[in-house]
Amino acid sequence: MLHLTRRQILERTAAIAGIAILGGTLGSARRAAAATEITAVEWGGGVVDAMKQIESKQEKVQVNWVLHQGGSGAILPKIKATWPNAEYDYVAGWEGSFTGMLKEDWLVPVTVDTVPNLADIPEKIIVKSAKGEWMAVPRAVGGIYFAYREDISPIKLKSIDDLFDPSLKGKICWPGPTQSMMLQIVALALHAGGDENNMDPGWALMKKLAETGNIGRIAVTDTDFTTSLTSGETALGFYSEPQLTSVAQSFPLVRLTKQEGLPTFLYQSGFAVFKNRPNLEATLQFINHCISPEMSTIYAEIAGEAPLNVKAKTPDALKHLAFTPEEFDKYVYVPDFNVVLTQQDAWTKRWENEIAPLL
Amino acid sequence: MKPGRGSLLLLSPAGAVFLGFFFLPMAGLFIESFRIYVPGSIGSKADAPFTLANYGELLTPSFAGFFFETLRISLLASLVGLLFAFPLAYWITRSLAARWQPIVIGLFVTLMFLSVLVRTYALELTFGAVGPLRPLLVEIGISPNSRGYIETLVIAGLLHYIVPMATLTLLGTIQNVDPRLFDAAQALGAPRWKAHLGVTLPLCMRGLLAAFLFAFTFSISAFVIPMILGKGRVLFISNLIYTRFSEIANYPSGAAISIVLFVVAIAIVYGMSHLVNKRWKT
Repeated sequence: MLHLTRRQILERTAAIAGIAILGGTLGSARRAAAATEITAVEWGGGVVDAMKQIESKQEKVQVNWVLHQGGSGAILPKIKATWPNAEYDYVAGWEGSFTGMLKEDWLVPVTVDTVPNLADIPEKIIVKSAKGEWMAVPRAVGGIYFAYREDISPIKLKSIDDLFDPSLKGKICWPGPTQSMMLQIVALALHAGGDENNMDPGWALMKKLAETGNIGRIAVTDTDFTTSLTSGETALGFYSEPQLTSVAQSFPLVRLTKQEGLPTFLYQSGFAVFKNRPNLEATLQFINHCISPEMSTIYAEIAGEAPLNVKAKTPDALKHLAFTPEEFDKYVYVPDFNVVLTQQDAWTKRWENEIAPLL
Repeated sequence: MKPGRGSLLLLSPAGAVFLGFFFLPMAGLFIESFRIYVPGSIGSKADAPFTLANYGELLTPSFAGFFFETLRISLLASLVGLLFAFPLAYWITRSLAARWQPIVIGLFVTLMFLSVLVRTYALELTFGAVGPLRPLLVEIGISPNSRGYIETLVIAGLLHYIVPMATLTLLGTIQNVDPRLFDAAQALGAPRWKAHLGVTLPLCMRGLLAAFLFAFTFSISAFVIPMILGKGRVLFISNLIYTRFSEIANYPSGAAISIVLFVVAIAIVYGMSHLVNKRWKT
């Protein structure tokens, strides 16, 4: 029979523990040596879930995920505060935020040489600098549009006028002034004969809507919208694709992307690659991996934005974002995003002055 | 008595921290509030010319409305908080058995350490539009989406923090009031309520002022509570400041609103302190 003294037990335990710790450390070191770490800012919810899955399908890059807090513009002051020291290798955004980053000259131009899968993305959608350089990598297209929960909405929304229906008292979740780039007011303006250059008709309608008492919640964050609709606090609203996808995963949501009278706005979501970072090559490699056909399909299935890579497969659940040229002309409105971006300050103040007191 | 050299030397680290982390940032904010902002950019440029436009924008009825709403809800929450806190503090000090006092005080201290976010969401889930109390509210004719209800919820959120803080502040004040004075008033024929009004309250007035000012300054600077419970419809000045700085990157306008809020708050604190000191001289 084996007889061990206490000293022997302690020695052997220490040896086993030492081997385990050393093995773990060496293993981590090996993994760390193999993978380059980058820091990326992404949207929460389904988007970051999709990106983490995409990350797991490669081993060269390890991503430190940082989530957007609030609207797409919320990260910009934080970047400016530390510039030229950049804390992020890439920031996920869309046309609105890319324009701001371009103005500040923060971004690295991208080419087919550095991101080969860009060859399969329609060139006209790529954000360009004044010199014509490609300045952001698009990955998917999403929509901002009206939708309602079929199971609890008192009415079937068919036009802007329906928003004033008395049966919708407290049932509308409306984006706050810094959400959706105020395209909700542009939608009202279009209905009343205006557009992003002539917003007075939109503001007049917005005042009337605020006075009806039909707005139950003003969503100031993405979570506000998702929570409000999934909890049944409100039944319909105007918001962007990932949040609508979150609601649609659990409840019957009617997505009004092809309803005449209710405009649909499309945006591209993509990657803005930052200067002054040590791992540019790894960042570009990772982004190239993300926009490959296979990864674009995964992203579309989880995040709910239709892929832009022409070789990727669009899931059936995103058919509402597939438009024929005739449908595109009929249902989709493409605003001048330069106007939209430069008017954010004025529109926000107008909201505070004219609309907020009525809510 | 003039502070000696040694005292000044001892104060210098605290002074340096105050200078570096309060005075200089506030000075930077003050300067920023006078800079021109170009829409679409992020903050003002370093060499941007100066302007009074950022302050001029605030001279509108709607901004006055925001300030008035913030002050009104904060004042109401602070006064209601004191109404709860003073009897609680009195009960802990005068009525509660000595062996229970540390436990109850410990409970209030623990409440102070609970995350504001957690408490706020607990209120939102319980009293919100889809909380378990919703059917009862609808039954008695209260709409959870009405503005009055949302304001009440915001006040409840503020009280969650104000009541424990004010109670703890008032404990020392009440302890310092000699209970024999109250007994003497009663012995001279005053009923309990008159004795409290004539003896206890005046002697506690400075402590009540301190508790009120803690509660008020907390309330007017509250951000998370109106953001979550206000449903985007009840907005505090802090929410506007956040929008300026974080969402639309208009730093000069955000700075101007911040400076105005700071001046208004200082004026209220000074005014109330002066009033109380004048009325209740010791």
